[in-house]
Amino acid sequence: MIDAPGPWGTGPFVLTEGVSLIDSRSDRVVMEPNPTYWNPARRPSVRIVYDNVIGKAEGIKSVAAGDGRVDVVFDLTPDEAKAFPASDKGKIQTKKAKTILTGVFNENRPDSPWRDPAVRRALNLAIDRQAVLDQGAHGYGTVIPAFIQPGRYGADPGLKPFPHDPQAAKAVLEKAGLGGRALVFVASPAWTGVVEAIGRNLAEIGLSARFVSDRGDLPEDFDVKLEWYFDWTPQYPVACVHREFFGKDATLRQGPEDPAFDALYDKLLHTAEPEAQEGVVREVERYLQDEAKALFLYSPFTLFAVSDRVAFTPYDTCMSELAETRIKG
Amino acid sequence: MDTHATGDPGGGGALGPHNTVTVVDPSPVNWLAITWNTMEEANRVDHEGIGQPSLAESWRWLDGETLELTMREAIYQDGERFDAGMFKLGFDKVQEWTNPHPPGAFLNFARDVTCEAVDDRTIRMRFPGGDSAALMKLRGMHLPSTRFWNEWGFIDPKTGSAEGHW
Repeated sequence: MIDAPGPWGTGPFVLTEGVSLIDSRSDRVVMEPNPTYWNPARRPSVRIVYDNVIGKAEGIKSVAAGDGRVDVVFDLTPDEAKAFPASDKGKIQTKKAKTILTGVFNENRPDSPWRDPAVRRALNLAIDRQAVLDQGAHGYGTVIPAFIQPGRYGADPGLKPFPHDPQAAKAVLEKAGLGGRALVFVASPAWTGVVEAIGRNLAEIGLSARFVSDRGDLPEDFDVKLEWYFDWTPQYPVACVHREFFGKDATLRQGPEDPAFDALYDKLLHTAEPEAQEGVVREVERYLQDEAKALFLYSPFTLFAVSDRVAFTPYDTCMSELAETRIKG
Repeated sequence: MDTHATGDPGGGGALGPHNTVTVVDPSPVNWLAITWNTMEEANRVDHEGIGQPSLAESWRWLDGETLELTMREAIYQDGERFDAGMFKLGFDKVQEWTNPHPPGAFLNFARDVTCEAVDDRTIRMRFPGGDSAALMKLRGMHLPSTRFWNEWGFIDPKTGSAEGHW
């Protein structure tokens, strides 16, 4: 973190005012173009002002109204994007970024039914992913088979999303003692619609979904926790994303360590040749699906409100890198 | 509107309000975006999510354990010249800390990794046992100027430590 503005770097912008830390920000952070930047293709032509006071809701209104206070708002929820009014002053811009929205099974208790891969697989079969995406997130995303989007580095072309097979799901879930249950889904309020859509799927097999906000304490008896995550790496997704869910040092894991995953990760770390490396990433993806390690859902688009005066280049990494962003004209 | 009259950074003039883009970014990693907009690393990730050279213009594995990087010519915003010595300084600084990166220890270089500035433009890093994550880790190793190291050095003023503050 940079604790004070100054000409500290070689990057496309000079930090001239303000700071942004994990737990606090100044009211404004200002970045001016770096006139000596070595890369002409990324040399900025605009000053960037991060407004840390106005807030997201007011920022979205400003873009729609074209009042000049705000040009770009990051990280809209699907509902915020859907509610953006028709405007000739601004629009919603989408980016198929390197993100996932996935369900982490609660395997914390030794007697958890979610420790059984067949039960985890059954819940995956109960879900119509495209319907969840369409109904729960207004279609802003891409259905994925595991953690990596088709066509991306490390995606296995032979891997397809789990089919929607409610009858097969019902038989296994009932056998596991979950018949008729209201499954507890912990999630950010941004994903309420997703949990509701999952609930409609579950209703087809006599179950239901109960939403619990992740803003409070995590209830011990939850079933699934929805997590949004993103990959910022130069083609090394397993360390950034998969490890964070299943690795020895994972922060999102809700259960015991998984030696089989750790062995695959170790294999990746010791595979130097790039093509072989991608082969191991695909192996990790197949392992996730074979073991139904998560409730696989979809890759959410990143959503922005963008003023009509700005040509904005969003990043797949979800970071607000802005060297390519221009004023139109 | 002539957006280039004051917007050309080579022109030297201050930018006016018409050349200002105002952003609301609620992301919890906005702090990292500020760093990546202003400081650089050996490599970066472009807007399509693909790894690209940055302050290193190229690299190659000489064997399974030795990575050689060729640094580009660049100038810090305070006028200092960037060279391989500055890369080594950044490496030595990050290795002083047990867990410098907020995302976690997976970004750490092992303690036995070494870095040598062979000449002004050439770095040789040695990873005993190999490390296929080396380029990912380099993406998180910021390369600021000497003045930054002397005045701030990623040390959190509240804790006096750079642990988890890179």
